[in-house]
Amino acid sequence: MTSPLDPPDGNWWDRAVNRRETIWLGIAGAWSLGIFAWMSGFTRFGDQNPIGETYDVEPEAYAATVDTYEENAETTSTAAIEESRAPTEEERQDVLVPPSKSVYVFPRRFSWGGLPVVLEAGTEYDIHLSSADVQHGFSVRPEESLSQQINLQVFPGTEWVVPMSFDEPGTYQVICNEFCGQGHASMHGTFYVVDPAEYETVTGE
Amino acid sequence: MLATITRLFENDYDEDGFRTCSVTGLNIHRSAEVHVKLFGLTAVIAMIVGGLFAFSVAMTRWEVVGLIGEFEGYYRHLSMHAWNLLIFWMVFMEIAVLYVGGPIVLGRRLPLTKVAKAGWGIMVAGALAVNYFIWTLSGGSDAPLLTAYVPLDVPLGFYGGAILFLLGATVAALPFLVSIIQQKREDWNGTLPLVAFGAFVTFVIAVQAILGGIAAFSYAFIWQAGIIDTINAGIYRQLYWIIGHGSQQINLLAMITVWYFLTHVVGGAVVASEKVSRTAFIMYLFFINLGAAHHLMVDPGLSAGWRIFNTSYAFYGAAFASMIHAFAIPAGLEAGRRQRGLGGGLFGWLTSAPWKNPIFASTIFSIILFGFLGGITGVLMGQMQLNMTWHNTYATVGHFHATVALGTTLAFMGLVFFVIKTMFQRNFISDRLALLVPYGYAAAMGLASLLMVYIGILYGVPRRTSQVVSNIIGSEFSLSAAEPLFLILGPMTLLAIIVGAVFVLVAVGSLLGGSRTTESDAQALLPQGGLVPDGGSDSVHAVEMRGTFTLCLVFMAAFVTLYVLNWFLLTQLWSIGA
Repeated sequence: MTSPLDPPDGNWWDRAVNRRETIWLGIAGAWSLGIFAWMSGFTRFGDQNPIGETYDVEPEAYAATVDTYEENAETTSTAAIEESRAPTEEERQDVLVPPSKSVYVFPRRFSWGGLPVVLEAGTEYDIHLSSADVQHGFSVRPEESLSQQINLQVFPGTEWVVPMSFDEPGTYQVICNEFCGQGHASMHGTFYVVDPAEYETVTGE
Repeated sequence: MLATITRLFENDYDEDGFRTCSVTGLNIHRSAEVHVKLFGLTAVIAMIVGGLFAFSVAMTRWEVVGLIGEFEGYYRHLSMHAWNLLIFWMVFMEIAVLYVGGPIVLGRRLPLTKVAKAGWGIMVAGALAVNYFIWTLSGGSDAPLLTAYVPLDVPLGFYGGAILFLLGATVAALPFLVSIIQQKREDWNGTLPLVAFGAFVTFVIAVQAILGGIAAFSYAFIWQAGIIDTINAGIYRQLYWIIGHGSQQINLLAMITVWYFLTHVVGGAVVASEKVSRTAFIMYLFFINLGAAHHLMVDPGLSAGWRIFNTSYAFYGAAFASMIHAFAIPAGLEAGRRQRGLGGGLFGWLTSAPWKNPIFASTIFSIILFGFLGGITGVLMGQMQLNMTWHNTYATVGHFHATVALGTTLAFMGLVFFVIKTMFQRNFISDRLALLVPYGYAAAMGLASLLMVYIGILYGVPRRTSQVVSNIIGSEFSLSAAEPLFLILGPMTLLAIIVGAVFVLVAVGSLLGGSRTTESDAQALLPQGGLVPDGGSDSVHAVEMRGTFTLCLVFMAAFVTLYVLNWFLLTQLWSIGA
């Protein structure tokens, strides 16, 4: 009788292992290697990987970059996007139209700088993420399908450039899912993703 | 009152201070037993404090009740809940587990008892300081929650308290190490019993984790004290998670050690293979703390190669080890019971088991639920790409409630019951209430954990927030589609808290008002045929283990199914990443 409370007798290392236990070791070992291989392989053939270039950047320097970006950006309006029409001159204020394929997101307690922004479906954008103050959580989902959501961590002092291409037009809601202080729960922003055929119309270009 | 408490620490010892436990047959020295009781009782107090805050946290997340608003101190309550349950309840219990696994199993005195007491004192001081600085948080400062992420403005004293507590835990663990050294000096070629070996590996993992924690909190401390001007959020996170997750790996190892111990003592389990079980512990030693990197899967600044190697515990070396224990422990039970003639058919060994013994039931529910809920979700969320859909959602809360609040807590509840019966030598004030604990807690907390995972993954509800499901302030958008699930989750969390209160009632009530156990009470705890029945053979490997094998195949089928489902969900997303 082998007890876990007593030292094992004799040469316990060479004692036989039950056949089914041996088979289980094979199954569990193969599964472990298999899921490792899949995770590693997916970085090569998969379309969803949390991978992008990172740079050290002081919050002030990043803020200056974002200022320049916003000055160069046109604006449109939520109403125009929702109604698939050109914005009137008075309306143009609340939604950014990025001047290039670089999109800057700049969270600070308790708002998402750089948002809302309007993007073209199917086009790859470089999403730049960096924080003005504390850590934030960049949590995005299409409004009508809550199970399709992703989450990325945002640091102050680090700029993360993650390429994204939103395949489906729609309203993508952003909330903060890293605790950033009292007021955290109110932090939200929006990506409007529109059909390429309508993009020029709603952005008024 | 003082006399009552003093009496709790008394037992009949011989003139050398030893007594023989009538349940386990272990030769227990007074010095070891007294300290196990001291740390165990302190753990239960931390559990009571953390449990009180479980109520306010759960009733806030259930937004229909919405007990405490974001600006009314919700984050303070959440911080109290996290530190008292995830850290203080667990670490005090773990020191007790070390003292059981070392000196008590080896039949030795606890060496350096003054050091043990000093460790306890420092831990208590640290824990009190952490609680104080969280509770007295003033308007300008930020609540730490569990992680105290820089550069939040967390009070300096909080970091000081956390460092103190960790130093105390290191000091308290030293007598354990010395007892192992003494044992090896006397018998260099001897092999430690499996439980002592498991406790030793737990100790090594604990020291690694604690050193990381001291580094993290010291880094934040000198920054908050103004000694350094800037602090790097990413470096802090890397250091922090050495303790943040490492502390939970201590739980895991302590719990597995308790599984081997309790399945043997109350279920009649044997060791299916010393070689296989010990190899699994060695794999933990090398690989398990690497897995802490899965908290950094969606952080900037870390290469994909680094993340994939570490989060996979180096090719899933530690997940493999866990799957080895997942077979070895039930197989030991199956083999032990079949050898006693208690196992007809595929599952006769399990159906004939002492299910009316709350210690046995706690242990088995802990094993099953930890594996199916905690283990599988842990591996899923630890895959770099899947982590994008799990990170900081309510699903992660579901995962660690399945592991710590459900799995480890059930095992430790079983251990507390066992210690009440065998060390405090008290009967339960109510056997029926004691039996309600494992069944009620496993059901309520099991369902609650599952719902949290579901709500997090399928509705993207974040953790660490008081209000987003029904209303996000200033936005028309909300996550209210998840509301119906909270109608089940809310009552389940409440039920789990009530059963937790019953546990405390039974534990404390039995200590203060339970009758003294007799020889026959002790015998009643043991498996049929006693702990070491006559006629057992050494050839455990030849005993049938097909029941366990079947259970493990069911586990693997669940694992594969959930794995495929999670990846399917991920590939439905827009394209992300270089």
